[in-house]
Amino acid sequence: MSTRNTTSYAEFAQPVVRIKGLKKAFGDNVVLRDVNLEVDRGEVVCILGPSGSGKSTILRCINLLETPTSGEVWFEDTQVNAKGTDINKMREHIGMVFQQFNLFPHLTARGNVELALRQVQKKSKDEAKDIACEMLERVGLADRSEYYPSQLSGGQQQRVAIARALALAPHVMLFDEATSALDPELVRDVLDVMRNLAEGGMTMIVVTHEMSFAREAADRVIFMDEGVIVEEGTPTQIFDNPQHERTKDFLGHLA
Amino acid sequence: METILHVFFNLEVMKQALPIVAAAFPVSLIFGFGGFLLAIPGGLTLAFMKMARYRLLRWPATVYVDVVRGTPLALQILILYFGLPFLPIYNVIAAPLSGIDVLGINATVYLRGLLILSLNSSAYLCEIFRAGIQSIPRGQMEAARSLGLSLPRSMAFVILPQTVRRILPTMMSEFILLFKDTALLASVAVMEMTLASKIIAGRVFNQSSYVVAACFYLLLTIPLGRLVSYMENRLAESEGDAA
Ligand SMILES: Nc1ncnc2c1ncn2[C@@H]1O[C@H](COP(=O)(O)OP(=O)(O)O)[C@@H](O)[C@H]1O
Ligand SMILES: [Mg+2]
Repeated sequence: MSTRNTTSYAEFAQPVVRIKGLKKAFGDNVVLRDVNLEVDRGEVVCILGPSGSGKSTILRCINLLETPTSGEVWFEDTQVNAKGTDINKMREHIGMVFQQFNLFPHLTARGNVELALRQVQKKSKDEAKDIACEMLERVGLADRSEYYPSQLSGGQQQRVAIARALALAPHVMLFDEATSALDPELVRDVLDVMRNLAEGGMTMIVVTHEMSFAREAADRVIFMDEGVIVEEGTPTQIFDNPQHERTKDFLGHLA
Repeated sequence: METILHVFFNLEVMKQALPIVAAAFPVSLIFGFGGFLLAIPGGLTLAFMKMARYRLLRWPATVYVDVVRGTPLALQILILYFGLPFLPIYNVIAAPLSGIDVLGINATVYLRGLLILSLNSSAYLCEIFRAGIQSIPRGQMEAARSLGLSLPRSMAFVILPQTVRRILPTMMSEFILLFKDTALLASVAVMEMTLASKIIAGRVFNQSSYVVAACFYLLLTIPLGRLVSYMENRLAESEGDAA
């Protein structure tokens, strides 16, 4: 892979994530059928759709938490689901944030952020600590760095999880319903962090039910149903002028 | 009543037995602790084999655990104590030890006893480890892997530390069981506490030495048992917090 401190034209031109003819089945249950998606550098793509439509599965195929049944998933110039791909190297550059936070309960907030810096990127203790503190500050939790996850609110835990992913300087961030498990009053802090990231130019693929977030922050909105992309376009196109019945139904139900 | 007191609580006999049983106490401790420590890597290996993707790894581990847990330790001791010396590998390890005595017992006796106890205990620890590892929510492994940690590193830094915390009480209970089971080595003439007390009993036609031995077992098992309860309670509380 090329070094990251010089950004060549080719890297700008190339999508960060490219999905071609992706199909995923669990046994007989076909969850994704022929999904095609390209996400450019700096783009924020929001994925909407009813529960069970395959949104999480798309994200999980991008970092190979699920193995695609067929089709191609590319991250920059590497095919993720090809034999011989160093998937750990790949995942280092693909940040993921889960609905259930999945913080490591035996480590402090700082310990959570430091782990991969130390064990994957082989940073020194001091360097890892500096980065961890910087990241926690960025998500507004500088004063909680020595707290354990059980001592933090859900919103704080999710922000630690975001800091943990950001610490590795990912080229793309995947959010899987990052605010769905949170009490309503805690959702805002997490969305603020995500909005800041989007404004800062982070490439993001965001599965969400937060329509206001999608409307404001997304460059492109994708509506999925039953394992296919039904419709995609700018937030204005999707929210104000949906073309398909299923999209209208879905948005209508939410209104 | 008089006779029971006389047969089991004869102070004269107890006084006579005390130093002899006390001298055998470290022998029982060596077999208990040593066997348990050796069983930990064995149990962990078996646990990973049982969770492996490949049948070729799973199958031998499953058979091993079933056989060991499905037969009496007393029988395993009889078979292996006399069977191990037929194994070439055993003799390679045992040869340099044959000249050494510890606490009046030949080092090869320790080797055999420790091997047998750890082979037995590793089967039980295997199931404890496996259940423990599988009780950690799937999201933990997924989060670790999504950060780019390899499978072994995810195990070492994320899954196992959480597992150890959860299974420590169960592991200690298993240790208590193993420590008591060292008494079964008496059947192959290993001079641990039970055999030591039996020899005294035979010599003086009185069973009071057994009570002395019982006290020595309790010396370790009661405090440890308390500790297990304490840790279980604390664990239940902290898990309650997390939920
Ligand atoms: N590991 C799995 N094994 C079997 N079926 C699964 C698995 N993960 C997801 N599914 C199924 O795939 C479908 C899509 O799931 P998912 O991608 O989680 O949907 P969404 O995130 O849109 O709610 C669901 O029907 C779900 O039951
Ligand atoms: Mg989902």
